[in-house]
Amino acid sequence: MSAQSGELLLVTINHETVPMEERERYALDEPQIRALYKSLHARNGIEESLILNTCNRFELYAKTVGVPNSESAVIDALGTFYKTDADSLRDHAQIHGGQDAIRHLIEVSAGLKSQITGEAEIFGQVKSAYAMCQNLGYAGALINRMTQKGFQAAKLIRHSTPIGEGQINISNVAVDLSLKIFGGLENAAALIIGTGEIGGKTAKAMRSRGAKQFGLASHTRERAEAAASEWGGEPLLVDELAEYIGKYDIVIASTETESPLLTRDALKAAHAQRKNRPLFLIDLGLPRNLDPRCEDLEDVYLYNLDDLARIAEDNLSERRAAIKSSEAIAAQKSESIWQVLVSRGLVSFL
Amino acid sequence: MSLLGLEDRQWIFLATVVFAVTSGLGTYSALKLRRNAPRRYTLVLVSFGWILQTIGLYARGLQYGGCPLSNRFELVQFMVWSAIALYIFVGPAFRVSFLGMFTSTFATLFSILSLSIPAWDSPNRTPIFGDSPWIETHAALALFSYGVFGVLALTSSMYLLQSRSLKQKKMGGFFPFMPSIAELANINLRLLNVGFFILSSSLAIGAVYWTKDLESVNFPKLGTTIAVWLAYGTLLLLRFRQSLSYKQYSWACIAVFTVALLSLEAVDRSFDDPLDESSVRPPSEQL
Repeated sequence: MSAQSGELLLVTINHETVPMEERERYALDEPQIRALYKSLHARNGIEESLILNTCNRFELYAKTVGVPNSESAVIDALGTFYKTDADSLRDHAQIHGGQDAIRHLIEVSAGLKSQITGEAEIFGQVKSAYAMCQNLGYAGALINRMTQKGFQAAKLIRHSTPIGEGQINISNVAVDLSLKIFGGLENAAALIIGTGEIGGKTAKAMRSRGAKQFGLASHTRERAEAAASEWGGEPLLVDELAEYIGKYDIVIASTETESPLLTRDALKAAHAQRKNRPLFLIDLGLPRNLDPRCEDLEDVYLYNLDDLARIAEDNLSERRAAIKSSEAIAAQKSESIWQVLVSRGLVSFL
Repeated sequence: MSLLGLEDRQWIFLATVVFAVTSGLGTYSALKLRRNAPRRYTLVLVSFGWILQTIGLYARGLQYGGCPLSNRFELVQFMVWSAIALYIFVGPAFRVSFLGMFTSTFATLFSILSLSIPAWDSPNRTPIFGDSPWIETHAALALFSYGVFGVLALTSSMYLLQSRSLKQKKMGGFFPFMPSIAELANINLRLLNVGFFILSSSLAIGAVYWTKDLESVNFPKLGTTIAVWLAYGTLLLLRFRQSLSYKQYSWACIAVFTVALLSLEAVDRSFDDPLDESSVRPPSEQL
């Protein structure tokens, strides 16, 4: 790959530019990505390229050399591939050049542009896209330098700002709180009351963070056994709750009930046998499954759906508040990366 | 006494500044930047402060030819020094995030207090240990155990803060950066074991001399020392029997430490008590 001076261009179609129905048209699987790379590089003028394709975005970073209008060249190439006209492609896309393209890459990698602000998965997706581009031989000096330095900047943002801090879905908030009570979940026994989706998700999240001992309680033996075979754990009956609740450290209740399954007095009797071990009650049911007065007991921590949702919302607000400082870092880093690219003659200064 | 161009109190003042900076940076990082200050940086800063304090106390010790434990200023400084030493040498094994920040705050507050009350520091006192290394060991161990109990009071405060945040569902402030309540409860028990063992050892050594000369220790010092020892012993017993909740236990640890601090007053006064003059006599004379 030559290191001839050229122009850097970014075409992005994402959740901010078009709705999902339109985005679907641009989604590619791996063979299609390979085909697009091939198609782009079969044309004169596109020297390097990087394609990022996730469920929320299609992005093409391209270095063009020796073409009078690089934007038209890239749009034409994409239009040909997608069998669509250039105007509708322009309507769906945002197009950035030069330093703005680098800043965009940093912001995407750091999760600033994600639908769920600060989510970490996107960084892995960008890294995979870069690895594929390298393996196929479409990354040259510009893409390599821009991407590697861009990754460093994204890491800096994630480490120096709270952009990725705090859980933002209810199941993970519950798991984080469990960790704040018990440290690790390896020795904490969890009881799931109800076999609904949210209880299952929370159990799954807890298992992924080390929880090993589970009890699965349902109103009927059949449903408890079915859930136990699916999620793993001991099948139990809700009617016998008072007999076994003392054995568990975390109780996740999300079943349909007219009256609370666990009253304060019943819990007080069971809690006395626990020798002051803390008990974490998570009430995900509506109407509430657990008597709200349970939280009056010492060493008992009771959280309901509203509490968890509020914490998730607070965490999200905190992430959003970090966007400004993260963008400032992205702007500063993209400028220094751009200066290096210009000084090395990899791009022409526009 | 001057060492390396600075007076002992100046070294201790510099150490206090370092502890204050560590505490300030930790608080700023958590509350303003919403980031936990990396533990290794905290450890380096606290260790630097501890070295400065050690030089100061060493310079003071040269004056006596022994441990500098002859007035209230020195007692407090030695206790702070012990707490910091515990954090530096044992703390990493506990892996308690934010303990460094809490310990440096503790060190800053007590150090400022002892530096700002000139009456606490009477440098012209005579050495208190005579030439007995055992009485010196007794005093140093007792003060070291107070350092351990000081850290125990800190981890108990951390437990209460975490527990309160969890109960009230307030996840801001220091909450995200502090350890779980189970870890804190576990550490509290270990610290009580260690502190009680050291204090008991100290009293056992002191008792050997006391039984040979019953008038060598005045009653207020004897009474408060035994009361503190009994209080921690009772706490330990109640904890083993699981008769106290973690919350009650944490409050009790803070309360007993407060009493222990007040007992230093009795220890300090014993240095002025004519009855206690025998304790400065060489052990050969006491026997």
